[in-house]
Amino acid sequence: MCAIDTLETDMRTSLLIAAILIAASGAGRAETPRDFLTRFEKEAGTAASAERGARFFTAKQGGEWSCASCHGERPTQAGRHAKTDKPITALAPAANAERFTDAAKVDKWFRRNCNDTINRACSAQEKADVLAWLLSLK
Amino acid sequence: MQTENPSVRVWDLPTRIFHWSLATSFVVAFVTSESEKWRDIHVVAGYSLAGLIAFRLLWGFVGGRHSRFADFLPTPGKVLDYLKSLLAGQPRHYVGHNPAGAVAIFLLLACGLIVAASGYATYNEIGGHVMEEVHEAAANGMMALVIIHLAGVVVSSWLHHENLVKAMITGRKQVHHENPAG
Ligand code: HEC
Repeated sequence: MCAIDTLETDMRTSLLIAAILIAASGAGRAETPRDFLTRFEKEAGTAASAERGARFFTAKQGGEWSCASCHGERPTQAGRHAKTDKPITALAPAANAERFTDAAKVDKWFRRNCNDTINRACSAQEKADVLAWLLSLK
Repeated sequence: MQTENPSVRVWDLPTRIFHWSLATSFVVAFVTSESEKWRDIHVVAGYSLAGLIAFRLLWGFVGGRHSRFADFLPTPGKVLDYLKSLLAGQPRHYVGHNPAGAVAIFLLLACGLIVAASGYATYNEIGGHVMEEVHEAAANGMMALVIIHLAGVVVSSWLHHENLVKAMITGRKQVHHENPAG
């Protein structure tokens, strides 16, 4: 009786832990690059422009770096870190299926990299533009 | 005529150098974490932190008396007793680490190991984005422990009328005879 009780509690605990883990991993749930584009466009309130994105990505804006300084002018190919010289895998989703599939990762690196290149956060419009351009690369 | 209390040597030189170097490398790594501009400094600070902890783990077995893990291994009983004596306003006095401080030290060392290992994995692209998350969570946990550790230093310096920061610089503590525990 007692043993069964414990077993049941054990099972319930395991189920609870499993549920929490699933819920927690849901925070970084797999999304597609298109989902991100939709999200950024909605936040910006206008349609994205791949052309503007290309310009934003490759032009320095007062700072030492542009996005291309690390991700390369052609992000279908691997880039190279401007500071550490380590290779960075291609940023364009067509060349790298892992890109823009994890919200935590996307948000974190947009925050860091925008701060490093333009000394402020990127606007939703800028993110939408960059992503539209990256998605247009084959 | 009563002269000043005699002082005893508590922390050996390697332990003191380790302590301040670890604090420095942690702070440097923490403040250089937010920008790719400082990535190389951040990585160097991380390697230093890992090397220092490796040294401390070794020193915990072969170092001076109060630096050895066996000297301050915090059993649940010891920790409870100490916390009770704190609450009663008559904190037990330890020449070396008190049991609560000892818990913080072991947690700090463990956190430091996780931070360094996950940082190494991230830098060398082993384990993917999960390692990034582990690295950040462990680093924030370590910062929380550091803050608790600092609060503990202030509170116990005040309770035991001794300057623990100075003791970690000079290695010496004045001898008191209040509630001696070891
Ligand atoms: C100093 C180098 C550097 C610069 C400049 C830089 N990045 Fe990055 N970027 C990185 C690194 C390092 C990563 C993370 C490692 C990785 O994912 O390969 C990263 C990752 C990303 C990611 C994550 C994508 C994903 O889902 O995996 C995005 C988005 C991104 N960068 C966009 C940008 C944009 C936009 C700019 C310009 C505003 C930019 N980066 C400038 C180094 C840089």
